[in-house]
Amino acid sequence: MALENLWQRLEQLPLAIHIGQTWWFPLLESLHVLAATLVFGAILTVDLRLLGLAGRRYRVSRIVGELVPWSIGAFVVAVTTGVGLFITRADGYLDNTAFQIKLVLLLLAGINIAIFHLRTLRTVAGWDQDRSVPLPAKLAGAASLALWVGVMLAGRWVGHLL
Amino acid sequence: MDSVITDIARAIAGTALSEAIYQTLGTVRGVAPIVQTIHILSVTALMASVVFVNLRVLGLAVPSQQLSEMIRRLMPWTWGGLLLLLLTGSTFVVALPDRYLHNPVLGIKISMLIPAVVLAVAFSRLSAREDNYWDASSARRRRARVMASVSLLLWMAVVLAGRWIAYASYLFA
Repeated sequence: MALENLWQRLEQLPLAIHIGQTWWFPLLESLHVLAATLVFGAILTVDLRLLGLAGRRYRVSRIVGELVPWSIGAFVVAVTTGVGLFITRADGYLDNTAFQIKLVLLLLAGINIAIFHLRTLRTVAGWDQDRSVPLPAKLAGAASLALWVGVMLAGRWVGHLL
Repeated sequence: MDSVITDIARAIAGTALSEAIYQTLGTVRGVAPIVQTIHILSVTALMASVVFVNLRVLGLAVPSQQLSEMIRRLMPWTWGGLLLLLLTGSTFVVALPDRYLHNPVLGIKISMLIPAVVLAVAFSRLSAREDNYWDASSARRRRARVMASVSLLLWMAVVLAGRWIAYASYLFA
């Protein structure tokens, strides 16, 4: 089965048609926005701590440990609702420049998170309580902030191009 | 009431500011999504502050953070976020007063937003009275949990309602 066929098949799923034609779409969309603000709200706290702009009295590992689970949980809701929205017009969204940019930014945000957790955070014991953390950690915070602002902007822009 | 709203909408629509914003939003590409994104990013600030304070009170998040310190540190983000929300939100209302002031979902949203703000002000003011105000007695802890639950529900409903403004016709055909 060709891939372009797959996207059109997605749109023809009974679930996709149901979402697209009923109040399910605005419901999923509003839950998507709620989840997205919670994802970024939790990550924002981590980013600002890394940048030394907020919550400096708390250990980095504590902030990460207590807030990352919230951002992951909210991210699962955002992806689930996002997929529900996506299948209503899979072909159209894939052609949508804002949607493409959003996917790329999400991928970059994921890479940034992976590098931070697998490399940077390994040495956290040495700077856990420092108000000013090492440069790689600061850069991870700055990159995360910029990438998630970009994800939100691109996400909001998707609807303007449909 | 409806004619009063119509009069207000007409008065706003007749101003030069309304016309200028309307023209800008309609002709300069990108302005509308950028203003909307600032609006959503301000919601993010509220999530990171007042919503996490509520979750902390309910014992659901950030257990290592101390409540009164958390309120002192985070509530300025809530007030700043609210100011930006008001500014960006009213941009659209001023540009299209007829569309928004007659929108029943906006009315519902505002009528949940006001008690949510009142609760947040009351909660942080009481907290500022003495150290560990909300942890000083079991009665206060109970009251804090009730306030936090109501606040949490209101903020979530406000955010959901915000997105539904565009779909008011689904609900009120």
